[in-house]
Amino acid sequence: MEALAREGVETIFGYPGGVVLPLYDEMLRWPQVRHVLVRHEQCAAHMADGYARATGKTGVCLATSGPGATNLVTGIANAMMDSVPMVAITGQVNTWGIGKDAFQETDIQGITIPITKHNYLVTDIDDLPHALAEAFYLARTGRMGPVLVDIPKDVFLARTDRPFPEQITRRGYFVPGMPEPSAIAQAAAMLAEAERPVVIAGAGVVWSGASDDLRALAEKTDVPIINSLLGLGTIDRDDPRSLGMMGMHGEVAATRAVQEADLVIGIGIRFDDRLTGKTEGFAPRAKIVHFDIDRTEFGKCVPTMCRVLGDLRHSLRAFVAAVTSRRNPQWWERIRSWQAAHPLCVPEHGFLSRHVLHALNEVTHGEAIVATDVGQHQMWTAQFYRFRRPNQWLSSGGLGTMGFGLPAALGAKFACPDREVWAVVGDGGFQMTLQELQVAAEHRVNVKIALLNNGYLGMVRQWQELFYENRHSHVAMGNPDYAKLAEAYGVGFFRCTRREDLAETLRQAREYPGPVLCEFVVEMEENVYPMVAAGMSNDNIVYDPDATASVTVEARR
Amino acid sequence: MSTTRHTITALVQNEAGTLNRLVSMFRRRGFSLASLNAGDCEQPGFSRLTLVVTGDDDTLHQVVGQIEKLIDVVEVDDVRPEAAVLRELAVIQVAATVEQRREVIEIVNVFGGKVPHLSHSGMTVELTDEPLRIDRKSVV
Repeated sequence: MEALAREGVETIFGYPGGVVLPLYDEMLRWPQVRHVLVRHEQCAAHMADGYARATGKTGVCLATSGPGATNLVTGIANAMMDSVPMVAITGQVNTWGIGKDAFQETDIQGITIPITKHNYLVTDIDDLPHALAEAFYLARTGRMGPVLVDIPKDVFLARTDRPFPEQITRRGYFVPGMPEPSAIAQAAAMLAEAERPVVIAGAGVVWSGASDDLRALAEKTDVPIINSLLGLGTIDRDDPRSLGMMGMHGEVAATRAVQEADLVIGIGIRFDDRLTGKTEGFAPRAKIVHFDIDRTEFGKCVPTMCRVLGDLRHSLRAFVAAVTSRRNPQWWERIRSWQAAHPLCVPEHGFLSRHVLHALNEVTHGEAIVATDVGQHQMWTAQFYRFRRPNQWLSSGGLGTMGFGLPAALGAKFACPDREVWAVVGDGGFQMTLQELQVAAEHRVNVKIALLNNGYLGMVRQWQELFYENRHSHVAMGNPDYAKLAEAYGVGFFRCTRREDLAETLRQAREYPGPVLCEFVVEMEENVYPMVAAGMSNDNIVYDPDATASVTVEARR
Repeated sequence: MSTTRHTITALVQNEAGTLNRLVSMFRRRGFSLASLNAGDCEQPGFSRLTLVVTGDDDTLHQVVGQIEKLIDVVEVDDVRPEAAVLRELAVIQVAATVEQRREVIEIVNVFGGKVPHLSHSGMTVELTDEPLRIDRKSVV
């Protein structure tokens, strides 16, 4: 507990059990650290994750040995894929019981080796202060990530006079800081020569706190700023140079700009398959410059000509200083024509998820913190919610974890009680973690849940429609009566079944003083477009069939 | 791109799970590990690893980077073939009667080998040389 207090941790998310009893007993003496009792350990990790994404600080979760620890695994893997700073503390059986298959023993260190930045099994109390301090240090330095500390029960009970280290130094652990001036010069020279440059900015910009420098780069060089899924918010979506998300369900103009570019500057992205499409066809006319804090990302997925290793806060600042001011009118003319020809569209017919997200963006002015699950609703949120700044967008990008939205939103609201927080979830993912409604009710956590109920695992159904000749296999979702569910948990409830009622429902939900579940009963078979099919090149964009019908254009402001 | 064999050495902190982490990373990322040798070294609390890895240049670049990224790893060296001194040790059991011993020992001497053990039915032969030459000698 002292370690947590020293690290400035205000809130931890956990679940007690046999071997962590000594820690839970001690917790009573540390009122400055708030403990949130979750209803499933997976959600402790997701709440810590949401807390971290919303604040940039390290999230902390806690579980007992055995099943408690294994229940954390999904949440830890999720944090690993998205480089989220997290410390997970697990209890372990007594040191003399380890290896003897004791009750609730599991090798959580072994299990989490591939999904943590580092992990510890602390068998000697004298090692504990250093291990905990180092865990926090590793989680939040360099490329961030989850660190797990496994502590046996007898170590919890033991005492030590060993002080916490004032400073952590670890041989061979290199934290990139300033970039090589030669790399910056090369990147600047490449930009000066380019006629059709683009920037793709990702979550690295969020974690390095470099979004101001990104905006400065956009202003000085007039380069279009495109985002990866998790990079949304690194530039205000209403900034004229923001093109939004590219990739599998990215906006046409963004994806096409990369295909046509002669220079792609990737900043804090890892060129994952959802972004690049088939890598052989990715940005075929472009040289690639890559800024990152992790050198193993260079050349991992696509060949790069110029690599700038460093903390993006330093690298981008140096880059902005090194580049010459420029304007790209011809390039912009082409991009604007693609934007005009292929805007995101909100059809005039029916009651669609797109109507809900479009309206949610309008009423919250793009200012809310928004967490999602994974699937169609996630892509529509990425498309229609116009994020203004970093730490606003909490979504499971790499692992694609259903059930992430509600606990992540709760974690964010615990961290930022004064911010408006929405969880946008589908009926599939919501049913994976809805037990956390109890946490919302118990703590009166004022989180608003937009449940887009289409009675399907929508994205899976979309793929079955497009790639499996519309054979629906185990994709229809039965749903409980959500009004009764909300009543049972003691949270507010609104159901909306018509577009005409949308504005009023959102108004009431926002005014309701406490957690609210809003069920939007939307059309069952709506598809996400634009779309590049998995394994195809980004040249093969499938446009929205609705775009040819009468549409309301989501115009640039 | 051509596939080559590289020898990589690494100095690692000797902690619970260190070797596990390394091998897990190779498995997870699908890198091929031809051989792995680990042992204590001159610095207390540290071990030195020698790995032989096959792959093209891009893969080897990734392998070295990913090893370096492991928190336990202090330093990594991708040993260039021209700078590497490679030795393979062969310990061979040879069935030989007392009468045949002299003949075997003559051959062993030609190759600069040793005979560390003798018994009535045979002998143990020890040879050290570059890996390829060991292969040829074993045939002899």
